[in-house]
Amino acid sequence: MTFAEVLRANQSMVFSLAYHFLRDPAAAEEVAQDVFMQLYRKMDDLDGAKHVTFWLRKVTSHRCIDYVRKRGSQATISLADVAEPSIPEQHGDPLLNRRLRQLIATLPEKPRMVMVLRYQEDLTPDEISEVLEMPVGTVKSHLQRSLEMLREKIDRSMGDIR
Amino acid sequence: MEDFEQHLKNALGRKEQPAWFEAKVLAAATPPQSRPQPYWRWAAALAAMILIGTGVLVQEERQERAAGEAAKARLQLALKITVTELSKIQKTVRTSTEEE
Repeated sequence: MTFAEVLRANQSMVFSLAYHFLRDPAAAEEVAQDVFMQLYRKMDDLDGAKHVTFWLRKVTSHRCIDYVRKRGSQATISLADVAEPSIPEQHGDPLLNRRLRQLIATLPEKPRMVMVLRYQEDLTPDEISEVLEMPVGTVKSHLQRSLEMLREKIDRSMGDIR
Repeated sequence: MEDFEQHLKNALGRKEQPAWFEAKVLAAATPPQSRPQPYWRWAAALAAMILIGTGVLVQEERQERAAGEAAKARLQLALKITVTELSKIQKTVRTSTEEE
């Protein structure tokens, strides 16, 4: 596979990971571009489409977390400060989707990335633990706690949607 | 899958990157092609090298020739002196022979 083909096949995945985690289209574009530039230098070391996808998820996740840590205390922002970019919804209730994204943005970095990998990329806890280099137990615990928190806040603000 | 998890999947669906993203990354990844040196630069450099080389050779030849000329002049002078001295000696010998 050439670099252009890999870019074409994975750009949406990389951009979306960064976008859902950072909630800033410009920052997501910057991170995604850095990831692909790193891939360009590393192409010869990666073997096969699966390895490339795994590598891209891993590097994007770590870069997003580093980006937020360098930028400041993004994890402690309030809901009111969370901007909502105007991108049309493809599935579900736009209001609920927006609210869920706002709530996910308030999670600390690692649980937030766990949620994005789980629900954007549909990865299993085992796969997430490999990508984020953390024990499976920690991934499961992040998922459980984040889901509880989200359900509780959504129930409080929008009624029971379960 | 629970409804709530489906809601999360909907909320975190993949988003399209900006339209310019692919072109921007490809442009950044392609190294700028090194501009070829115009042929006249190489020709000028070669001509300068030939001129300098020839100049050095001509100068060395001139110096050698001047040194040769000087040596020739010194030899001619020495021969003249020798001839003069020999003439004088010959004269002296002849005079003394005639007197005897």
